[in-house]
Amino acid sequence: MPEPAALGQAKLLWTLPFDADWVTAVCFLGSTRRLAAGNNLGQVLIWDLPEQPDAPPPLPRRRLDGHTNAISRLVATADGRWLISASYDHTIRYWDTQASPQGQETLTLNARAREEAGRRGGKVPPAVEATVNVQPATQVLRGHRDWVSDLALSRDEQLLLSGGDDGWVVLWDRPAAKEQRRWQLPAWAYAVALSPDNRQALVSERRPLVFDSSRHAGVRLWDVTSGTVQRDLSSDFKGIYISAADYSPDGKLLALGRGGEVDGFNGKVFLLDPASPGKPRELSPGHQYGITDLAFHPDGRHLASSGRDTVVRLWDTAAAKVVQEIGKPRGSQFKDWIHAIAFSADGRWLATADMAGAVQVWAFSA
Amino acid sequence: MNPFCSKREHISRRAFLKGSLCTAGGLVVANWGGLVHSPTIAADVERRGKRCILLWMNGGASQIDTFDLKPGRPTGGPFRPIATRVPGIQICEYLPRLAQHTDKLAVIRSMRTESPDHPDGIYHMHTCYKMAERTPHPEIGAMVAKYLGRIDADLPSFVRMGPTGNAGAGYLGPQYEPFSLGRDGKLSYFTTPYVDAAAEQRRGDLWRLLETEFARDHHAEPFASHRLAKERAWRLLRAKSIFDTSKDWPEVCERYGNTDFGRCCFLARKLVEAGVAFVEVGQDNYDSHADNFVCHKANMQVLDPAWSALLEDLDARGLLQDTLVIWMGEVGRTPYINNRAGRDHYIRAWTIVLAGGGIKGGQVYGATDADGKEVKDNPVSEGDLFATIYTALGINPRTKHYVGTRPVWATPEGSRPIRELLA
Repeated sequence: MPEPAALGQAKLLWTLPFDADWVTAVCFLGSTRRLAAGNNLGQVLIWDLPEQPDAPPPLPRRRLDGHTNAISRLVATADGRWLISASYDHTIRYWDTQASPQGQETLTLNARAREEAGRRGGKVPPAVEATVNVQPATQVLRGHRDWVSDLALSRDEQLLLSGGDDGWVVLWDRPAAKEQRRWQLPAWAYAVALSPDNRQALVSERRPLVFDSSRHAGVRLWDVTSGTVQRDLSSDFKGIYISAADYSPDGKLLALGRGGEVDGFNGKVFLLDPASPGKPRELSPGHQYGITDLAFHPDGRHLASSGRDTVVRLWDTAAAKVVQEIGKPRGSQFKDWIHAIAFSADGRWLATADMAGAVQVWAFSA
Repeated sequence: MNPFCSKREHISRRAFLKGSLCTAGGLVVANWGGLVHSPTIAADVERRGKRCILLWMNGGASQIDTFDLKPGRPTGGPFRPIATRVPGIQICEYLPRLAQHTDKLAVIRSMRTESPDHPDGIYHMHTCYKMAERTPHPEIGAMVAKYLGRIDADLPSFVRMGPTGNAGAGYLGPQYEPFSLGRDGKLSYFTTPYVDAAAEQRRGDLWRLLETEFARDHHAEPFASHRLAKERAWRLLRAKSIFDTSKDWPEVCERYGNTDFGRCCFLARKLVEAGVAFVEVGQDNYDSHADNFVCHKANMQVLDPAWSALLEDLDARGLLQDTLVIWMGEVGRTPYINNRAGRDHYIRAWTIVLAGGGIKGGQVYGATDADGKEVKDNPVSEGDLFATIYTALGINPRTKHYVGTRPVWATPEGSRPIRELLA
């Protein structure tokens, strides 16, 4: 685990091209040096990251075939064997990353960049090719009838919680891949998070209409054991769409992020005590145009937020201050997004899913 | 009290003089359509009982995410096509109920229009003329009200709700201006009298007495217009119970969807049933420069039940064969997806849907290329669309009006009805 001071210094180790479409999800496979990322088309790639930070960018080793629409979330077991993906194709899939592959294929990882350069008459970059092992999913969960918008894995890996645009939240027995319980929301589920003790869930809701009276934004804490509402936080977040949520490892803090496209720098992070009522704390500055993802650092004290401004912020949650800003706003008026973020189990690396078609791996060092 | 025949029963002296002057001398006098709207023409059209409902997608709906999907293409987005009642016609997965009514729909996938932004697009797609022209063209609703409306009815001939057109009655004159309701389809609070009916009646009688006295010495047209407007407002108040959906809404809200737009579509059905010639219902939230897909998904979940239930009800009541239902907005949306997960305005290749009265359903007209960037077959202009709509409604698209001495046609020169779309 890096010392807190080291979190103030992040170095970009590798940019991994994956430009078939927007990269939408990213995840380290447990405590291994393996990294998975998914994109808007439903493709999932796995890389083995090198030991040496100055090694050349690694090529992907595996491609996981089966999803037919955007990947909304990737989670993995601590042993790094099982990767679980949620998708807009209405399914959740289990992938055994140690299974024997079913074949091999050669990919051009920067095909889109080459095509665009050719169309514009510019210099076409050399092809970045990789031969990958391909494999299908071992299990497909079909509990939703619309996009699965978010997925959370419990710390003990016994439970999965999924939320969908069908308005259902489903609690799954993860090892058995069986549905345990479900409850319905008045609108679409947006972000979901499970408390470390498996007793509480945060679910945010949305129906993104502008003027119709059936527009809806909601945030509630649920008792997972009964599927009933513990606390309705909607009045604290009136009209606000919460796009991301994460519990701290000790469960004492719950972080929420304001998403959708919001005006100016109002993509705020909110911190609250999930066990007792009280006004949420607001962290400033907010992300320009909105937050896309939140992830607590394994030390439990720090939190990373990503946004529609191509920036990742690392926060000291006790001091409510930015420790570091990773990346810079790029583009003109509207920026590309960093769609998703993930810390490695030891907290030394941070991976980001970049809408521009790449995965970045950052290292924290003293 | 005027002992002679009312204005609507004969061509008025004023209209006759203006028309004569125009014909004979070409002098600059606007006729407000007075001559063209002869009782004979109006009665002929009225006998056919044609009506029109415009479902207006304010901001511009995305054709690729609704009726012209491009699965597997870089422009395709995350929505998937589904089969429909008509083999070979696929539409978006988020329009499942409408998919059961494609036998009634004529989907025009080859709109190529000229006004790329909102105010000019709204004007253009309501009038079929460019906003930049100095002539004040009337909206389609005013035109339909003029030729298909009943001038003696208590209800207005042109009613609209929510975000809709911006041109008004134009050169047709104030009697064809729209009667506007809120986006929830409810009448304004001031339509409820704050005195009882008997007192309201006494007030009206007193007002008429005073106005009659006043009119003896004041013959100018604005005074007469004011009196006419007031009388029409009173007539409307007598018939206002039609706008109250509170009693019957619970029975139908599940089918129409419990939304403002659903309620307005239900009211539209009631209004055309009661004889209103043109009803426009606007749905907002389509201008999705950001988050296009969630916006469209949410919108389609509102649109699908409302539009489907409207078609079902019109059909069940035998009204659909005489009621043209138009689905359109001012622009389409770009095939490419921007870095806000949005689609911007696009007018080179987009989609409009017609159904019902005078239209041959169960067909797709025109086509776009593989990525939806260009029209591949049968481009359709604003003028062609309006010529088709007017023809389906029994209105001659080459009907001529005069603005001063200048002749103006209902559709621009060169516009042609699309015969393949007409029943």
